[in-house]
Order: sequence, then C-alpha cells, then structure tokens
Amino acid sequence: MIESLGRLRKDRHDEARAWKERMGKKVIGVFCCDVPEELIYAAGMLPVRILGEHEEASEGNLHFPTNVCPYPTSCLDQALKGRYDYLDGVIVPNVCDMIRAMHGAWKLNTAIPNVYFLEVPQRISNHGVEFFRENLARFQRSLEEISGNSISSESLKQAIDVYNRNRDLLHRAYEMRRKGLVSGVELQEMVLSSMLIPKEEHNRLMDQCLEEAGQRHPAGDGVRLFISASMLDDTDFLQLIEDCGGWVIADDMPMGSRYFFYSVDNEAEPLEALAKRYLARIPCPRKMLPQARFEYVEETLAGAEVQGVIIHNLKACDCHLYEYPYLKEMFEARGLPVLFFRGEETEAELETQRDDIEAFIEVLRG
Amino acid sequence: MAFGGIDVGSVNTSVVIFEDARILSHLIVSSGELDSEPRRAMEKALEAAGLDWGELATVVATGRGRSGVDFAQKWSSEVVCQARGAIWLFHTARTVINLGAESSRVISLNEYGKVQSFATNDKCAAGSGLFFESMSYLMEVPVAEMGQLALEAETAEEVSSRCAVFAESEVISHIHRGVAKERILAGLHRAVADRILDLVSQVTIYRDIVLTGGVARNPALVKELEERLGFAVCLPPEPQIVGALGAALLAGKKSG
Repeated sequence: MIESLGRLRKDRHDEARAWKERMGKKVIGVFCCDVPEELIYAAGMLPVRILGEHEEASEGNLHFPTNVCPYPTSCLDQALKGRYDYLDGVIVPNVCDMIRAMHGAWKLNTAIPNVYFLEVPQRISNHGVEFFRENLARFQRSLEEISGNSISSESLKQAIDVYNRNRDLLHRAYEMRRKGLVSGVELQEMVLSSMLIPKEEHNRLMDQCLEEAGQRHPAGDGVRLFISASMLDDTDFLQLIEDCGGWVIADDMPMGSRYFFYSVDNEAEPLEALAKRYLARIPCPRKMLPQARFEYVEETLAGAEVQGVIIHNLKACDCHLYEYPYLKEMFEARGLPVLFFRGEETEAELETQRDDIEAFIEVLRG
Repeated sequence: MAFGGIDVGSVNTSVVIFEDARILSHLIVSSGELDSEPRRAMEKALEAAGLDWGELATVVATGRGRSGVDFAQKWSSEVVCQARGAIWLFHTARTVINLGAESSRVISLNEYGKVQSFATNDKCAAGSGLFFESMSYLMEVPVAEMGQLALEAETAEEVSSRCAVFAESEVISHIHRGVAKERILAGLHRAVADRILDLVSQVTIYRDIVLTGGVARNPALVKELEERLGFAVCLPPEPQIVGALGAALLAGKKSG
C-alpha cells in the first residue's frame, strides 16, 4: 500500500478528473498551507494542492522573470499547459509576493473560474485571529456560492474531525519514520497524497499504511538528518538524500510537518478554531516572529540524535532566506553541521546536489 | 604494497601511486572517455612507478566521474579527498580552497584535520577553470600565460561583473576601447578573487589555507587572493593532484 502512494501524486490530474466525473462535484485548487481546507471539504468540494513539476517552465517563464521563486512560476506553467483545466476554482492565500501574484496571473491567463484571494494576517496575535476569522466567514460564503451548498456548523465540525484524524495519522507516520519504520520519501508521499485526494479516503489508506509499516523491521544504518525546506513539491530531493545514505528523521517543511502538526480544537467555535490553528501551526517564515517555528525545531532536535542538517531553500524565496542565518546559527550552536542548497525546480540540479550530499554524508559518517 | 588514488574531473584526470609515505608517481591527463581513460591513466602511472597491477593493494576513486572507475575498491567525495591530500601536504592546514575546471569549493577543517563544513559554487562559472578558458579565447592569451601577463599590469581595469557571461561583454568593450590586455587581465583576476571570497565567506575559515586545483597555478589569482586575505596561502607543488593524493591516502587507510 505504501508503495502505491506515489502513483496518487503522479496521476493526480487523472485522479481528480475521475473523482469529479464520478461524484458530479467541484474540485478546488489550493496554494500553500494557509488555506483551511476543511471549509472546502464541508462545502462538498475536493481541495487539491497545486504542485509544480521538475520541468522547463516554458510557458510560466513568459510571465515572470527568472530571478523569482521558481515554484509559483512552475505552478502557473502547469496551468498554462492545461494540466489544471479541470479546476472549478483556485484559492490563493496572501502568503508572499510571488504567491500573491498567482491571483492575477491565474485570473488573467487561465480559463479557470473562481480565482479567490484569501487574506491571511502576517502576525500571530489575538487581533490576527479575529481578523482571520472574519475573512474565513467571508471565505465560507464564497465557497457556499461556488458549490451551491450551505456549510452548516455540523458539517464543518465533521470536516474538522476528518482532517484532525488525518493529521493524527500523519503524525503517527512521522513518529514511525524516526524509528526507521517509514522512510523520508514515504512520509512525503503520504503528505503529498493527503493533499490530493479526499481526506476520508486518505484516512483509510493511512490506516493500511501504518499497519504495513508497523510490521516492518526498523532500518537504521543511515546518517540521521534533519531537513528544513521552503518547498519540496515532489520526492526527488529526499530520494536523493536516501540514495546517498541519509536517513531523514525529522523535518521542518511545508510538505511535511508544517502541514499536519497541531490539530484544530473541535470543541470551540469552528471558524475561530480554524483561524487559531492555521495561524499558530508551525508557521512558514512569511509570518512575523519566527519563534514558534524555531521552538518547534528546538523541540524536535531534543532527543532526536540528529547528526546533520540539510536546508533546501528555493532560490529567491526571500522569506526563508531571511530566516536562514538564524536557523543555521541555531543548528551550529548545537554542533550540527549544515548543508545548504538553493533549489530551482529543474532536473539538472539534482546531479550537482548529489555531489554535495554524498560528500556531506561521507563527512558525517567520519 | 602500493596504493592508488584517481581523481576523474570534468576536464582532467589525475592519478597518484603512493607507498611508504611517499608519492611514487603521479600524472595528469585529459579525462576523455570514461570507459577507457581512467584505466589507461592508472596503467601509465603504474608504469612510471615501475609497478604492475598486482602490486597495487587498493584504489580509491574521487572526482565527478568517480562512479565510472570500475577498478576502484572505494569511491570517495572530492571534499574528503581534497581535505585529506591537503592536510598530508601541509599539517597546519585548516582550510582548503579547491578551484577546479567546473567547480570551486571551500572546505573548513577542524584542529584534528577533519572536515567541519564546506561550500560549493552553484551554477556560477566565475572562479572556475572554464571561466579562465573562455576569457583566454576571448583575449587570445593562452591560459598558462594569463596570470603572468596580469602581474605585469601596474593598474587594473575594473571588471565589475562577476558573472562569466556579463564579464565577457565587459571585457569585449574594454578591448574595443583599446585598454591594454595586462590591465584587463588584472581586472579579471580581481573579479574572480572576489567571487571566490564570496564562497569563502560561507564557511568559517582558519589559517593555514591551502589552494588546490588547476586554477591554483595562476600566480595573479594567488596574489589577488593573498592580498584580500591579508596573508600568504600554502601552494602544493602540484595543486592538481591533491584530490588523487587524498584518494591514495584513503586507499592506504582502507587497507591498513
């Protein structure tokens, strides 16, 4: 079962189209971890994460210069090549300059309807939660219009339950990875597939995956690594690390821990609970005050017996690059060697990265 | 028993045969065909050392083309081999600046000579051997003479761009304005030294610094780097074989 997860990512467009036809319902594209997908789910639609591809952004590059973060350009490229033509809407949260630019770019250059801009506050504060809650109420009304379904408090609570269960299952897989029962690539396939198919279906798959993993013998001769990344939207980089003898045991990645750590409080009023969880989860560096992220990293490192750290930031991701020196300092203060990459979403980069990763792991092995 | 180290780079391959704490032979050849050239290079080095294959205990391969060396018993990264070679040549080494044909890297060593951290150039070609080759073609000065000619300049013409492509257009405009080759070359070396120091700034460095790789043969670049660093760097007698030497030392360790 675990091995088949990669197929869900690779065939994601066919899967989404088939779901749409089978269910007669709408599919909504989502950027980044800041969009409360529970609301889309509660409106009876399928949220799918927009992903780029390791390929030449021949269409996307016509719209953006090459000195910007390559991930949004790659996503736009996919849309311009018609790969997302089944979408009934796209939610663009106000995450960073480039993701913000996706709103206009998709609205003007694709035929996809309902390109929605979701304002997300920069500050993690009570005012921020209040502001975000109000935005989510507006977002809810828009989703009701798009779907033609009203979102009741019960349906939203039920959605939160399904999503919390998924977080819990992914969290258990995260713990199993540390024990050598799940590989880094496998966990990332779990997270990525979770972003692409209906959550209750993913929960069923995860139950089977965890059972399968629980029967394995722990692997454990790899070099224990912590990975921090700005955006790894496929498994190529982690595969490379594992091929070179690395063992990813913990991470700080949007397509990893940042997606599923921390549940939504389902005892509280749903919109407020969603606002709180999505603001205070392990925050991406686009949010002010990085302490929460750094604290998560500190806690994860404690007792993890990490031997080294690999940081992968996409080039020109200013938010991540701004925090990089602090993060590096934090690791080095703990005596952890750091290997840094500026990624580009191209095939060619993987070969040069291999050289450095091999060297890094050889050095760590001593 | 003797030990072999082979460093298969993108342009050159170097081989070192090592026995009883001394280098028996070494050679540098063009990398050529990966299927046949490494073996031929090793045979030549063995011949120069007066040995045959049977007297070679272990071979370690390094360099970008190392995985194609099928007669090696172990394959090691350039970072580890450069560090090992440099520390054998200079016991006080704490930093290695390796300037190869395509890649440049800075390796920081701890007080025990172990690799502490390293940084490699990204796609940028500035500072690499290929950068000098393209400038050599443009200025019609052989690569081997570029450094010496640059040293003859009393002042340097500024080459502000550190990008190989933009530097090329800057150099062309200097040529068209009739600026003396020596001055343009001096400016180029200065720009390249700046680029290398950008890379150096990514790791914590300590003295002594060893310069390795083909670009270390360029006296103008060495001078520029030393001026900026404020102290002299250590230059191996054969800077291009340091990686192969490190590989041979690893081969000895593996067997020993």
